[in-house]
Amino acid sequence: MTNARNLSIPGGLTGALLGLVAELALEEITGMEIVNGLLAVIGAGFGLVRIDQRIYEATVNLIKRVPVEPNSDYRDVLEQIDEMSLELPELRESFVKLIQAGIQAQKA
Amino acid sequence: MVGLNSLTKLFRKTIGPRIEALGIFPSRYYLNRTLEALDVDDIDEAVRLITLARTGQQQNSRWRLVCQQVIFRCRVLASIHEKQIERIKTELELFGKAQDMRERYLSLQKTEGKAREVLRNYERRLLDQLAGSSGASPPS
Repeated sequence: MTNARNLSIPGGLTGALLGLVAELALEEITGMEIVNGLLAVIGAGFGLVRIDQRIYEATVNLIKRVPVEPNSDYRDVLEQIDEMSLELPELRESFVKLIQAGIQAQKA
Repeated sequence: MVGLNSLTKLFRKTIGPRIEALGIFPSRYYLNRTLEALDVDDIDEAVRLITLARTGQQQNSRWRLVCQQVIFRCRVLASIHEKQIERIKTELELFGKAQDMRERYLSLQKTEGKAREVLRNYERRLLDQLAGSSGASPPS
């Protein structure tokens, strides 16, 4: 009963609306994007904390950005990746893990 | 009230690079910024930042992996320029009879060659750093 009294949907909506109005007004007056700024700072903070996740994403991104010729199949791409990762043992290991994970996911 | 986004931008455009160049920030900061530069193929910036991460902190497995990512991207981009050079060579043989066209193709070929060489220099520089780090501290 007490909990029900503490929650107010109209109050929440009014708060959200007031927040939006304040944000838009500040943006209009100052020309600064406050929410985007906050998100950028939060994002950068997460980037520092979750650096391993960021490195993993960058590894996936690297593979995705390997140029593929229209008439080449997956073996050509693997060969290309293999050639380009010579002398790069840790990266090669990451690629192998990613490929194995992909194969496992396909089997499942 | 000033937006934090604008403050961050202002910092990065003014005194940010000078403070960054001191190598006083944590290694993670430089690694994160290297990956940001790598996302947009700003290789020059990525090489500068990964080098700073090396001088600022003890090298670890993260540094080695990010460094190898930059080298890999250099190789991919160099191979794209290599293919462009081959394409230009073929087109030069086919359509390069007129003097002005020939000059245009040769100029393009030279630009592509320069870009490839810059990338190879970066690759060599980072490979040297990587070789120098092989006896460094165990992975953290």
